[in-house]
Amino acid sequence: MTVLWVPVSAALVMSVAALATAWAQSRIGAAGAAALAEKPELSTTAVIMLAIPETVAILGFVVAVMIVLRGGG
Amino acid sequence: MIVPMSRVRIMGPRDRLDETLVTLQDFGRVQLDRIPGDGDLRAAATSRRVDRDRRALRRMLDDADAAIQLLAVPAGPEAAVAPARSRLAEWARLARRCRRQAEALRAREHALADERAVLGRYQGFFDAFRVLLAELADAQHLRAYGVMLPASERARVESLADALRAELRVEVIVTSRTLQSGDIAVLIAVPVEARERMERAFGAARIAEVPLPAGYADQSLTEAAPAILARLDEIPRLVAELLDQRRVLAERWGSELRTIRASAADLLSTAAATDLSVSTAHAFVIEGWLPRADMPRLQSMIDQRLGADLVVEELARDEWHGAAAPVVLSNPRLFKPFETLTSLMPLPAYGTIDPTPFVAVGFPMLFGMILGDVGYGLMLGALAALMLWRGKGIWRSLGQISLACALFTVIFGVLFGEFFGTLGRALIGMQPILFDRENAIIAAIVAAVGIGLVHTMLGLVLGMLTSRGKPRIVVSRAVQLAMMVVIVLALLSAVQVLPSRLFGPLGMVALIGFPILLFLEGIIAPIEFFSTLSSVLSYVRIMALGTASVLLAAVANDMVGVFGSVLVGVIFALLFHLVNFAMGVFSPTIHALRLHYVEFFKQFYSPGGRPYEPFRHGEPRRASTRGIS
Repeated sequence: MTVLWVPVSAALVMSVAALATAWAQSRIGAAGAAALAEKPELSTTAVIMLAIPETVAILGFVVAVMIVLRGGG
Repeated sequence: MIVPMSRVRIMGPRDRLDETLVTLQDFGRVQLDRIPGDGDLRAAATSRRVDRDRRALRRMLDDADAAIQLLAVPAGPEAAVAPARSRLAEWARLARRCRRQAEALRAREHALADERAVLGRYQGFFDAFRVLLAELADAQHLRAYGVMLPASERARVESLADALRAELRVEVIVTSRTLQSGDIAVLIAVPVEARERMERAFGAARIAEVPLPAGYADQSLTEAAPAILARLDEIPRLVAELLDQRRVLAERWGSELRTIRASAADLLSTAAATDLSVSTAHAFVIEGWLPRADMPRLQSMIDQRLGADLVVEELARDEWHGAAAPVVLSNPRLFKPFETLTSLMPLPAYGTIDPTPFVAVGFPMLFGMILGDVGYGLMLGALAALMLWRGKGIWRSLGQISLACALFTVIFGVLFGEFFGTLGRALIGMQPILFDRENAIIAAIVAAVGIGLVHTMLGLVLGMLTSRGKPRIVVSRAVQLAMMVVIVLALLSAVQVLPSRLFGPLGMVALIGFPILLFLEGIIAPIEFFSTLSSVLSYVRIMALGTASVLLAAVANDMVGVFGSVLVGVIFALLFHLVNFAMGVFSPTIHALRLHYVEFFKQFYSPGGRPYEPFRHGEPRRASTRGIS
């Protein structure tokens, strides 16, 4: 049973983290695009801001790896 | 580094203010600053005449600027001159006249371009029926109509003829052609006497006649077609004539317009400088900023040109303490290209730290750790060499940054034993020196967090240096630094790298730090400390992105054996490597920048620097903050 739950848990962690990142990036991307229409010089700032929520996906990936390695999946 | 600045005060007889300003403008390194009026000192008063003259100068500058831009006058060597008043009036008229002529030429160009765009929409239709329309023009008893149908309604052409015949009860000629766009052009010819009933017939057939453009609306299709085609042939010639007129104007007046522009800009900036001076009945005083190293040159230039009547003195630092000196960055040649990256942030405040040298070392290193592949490093190096060979300005700086990144990518590629992912191992038996990123994920996480810890602690040390003079903040940063070290030691004892009996005492020591932080900076300090800890964890992205990169490279290599044909497999593998390389350049750039801007800079960076805008020839008040040498 554990063998089944380990990959499922890892997949769940990764997918929820990725969805959360995607949601945050969609909001930031839309706001960034609107800001760029007014001030094109903000393009670098917008790209950096867009990269900020990726921390969630990356930490999700790390937790998923931990689950797989520790759980023996 | 941030260039040390001096605040200079220049005093002299009031009647020598103008020549002093001319000397300072020639010197071109002093940023004049407002000084408060004190006692008998007062700012130069402006009269209505002076205001009027300045408005006229501003108009002249605008006119010359607009004319230069509209006539596409190239840059030239003309410098500012000091004209007589009568000459200024002449220049103002000339600049205005050139601007009006240039605007008129540009307006005619736009009108012709618009006309060409409108008439061009009919060209396909008329070209398709060119012969037929010519024949119909001779047939006085017939009148022609044009109709356009979308490609999907091709079948309607036949039924259209039947519908029109039924409605008009006369013989109707219907011819169709398929245009390049796929639409169907339909030409309908009916006897002239049926003209009155055509509108109703079109309504019954549920189609609309192609409307002729304005200017041709009162003509028949057969009359308008040759006129429109002739006009379309004529427009390029008219445009060429206009361009020729513009070139002649630019050649005739270009040099004079550049002189007018330079002189007006100089006069306006001198006027702005005069406003910043204060004076008594007999003397004037002006103050400003300049790089400390330029102070002796300024002194000798004023001595040479203006003699001993003028006093130049450097104000002691405590006289301008707290005043915002302008910020000039100056870095060694090796670090200079990285000012491109720091320039994306606001200027650092004067007296704080220029982060460029730290970015110059940290950015390529983090980039190399993430990409870490000899093959990709060599590709990036080739790209950088191309940018250095062909590029200028910003592209050259980017080439230099890319070269540094490529170097670190190759170094870490050797340490990780990667050449296009796993290809190096298969072909030449490359072995990882540090660890295998594909499998040793825990080691990669520890290395990434370790780098994050060192980087963040460096940031805290820089924060202590920036905050000197604020002892509570310095002590708070030191306590945070110590707590981080203790927490790391506690973790090492928890995983038995250090004796496990140390875990309890170390944990206690770490806890003692919180009340000290609370005492020093209030509740915000412990919150900041947790934020700093999360910053360290954020560096784990180095591992995540690196592992993703090496796995994608491994997938690309596996493609060779998947497709049956080796050739097809190699082509797909190369394409996949190319995609991975593109992602591998973009993603580490963004994340290495983010680690600097968000995680590293927040420990010490103090924005709010004032740009350096020296008083010099050229544009009035043009900022020149970076790249002083």
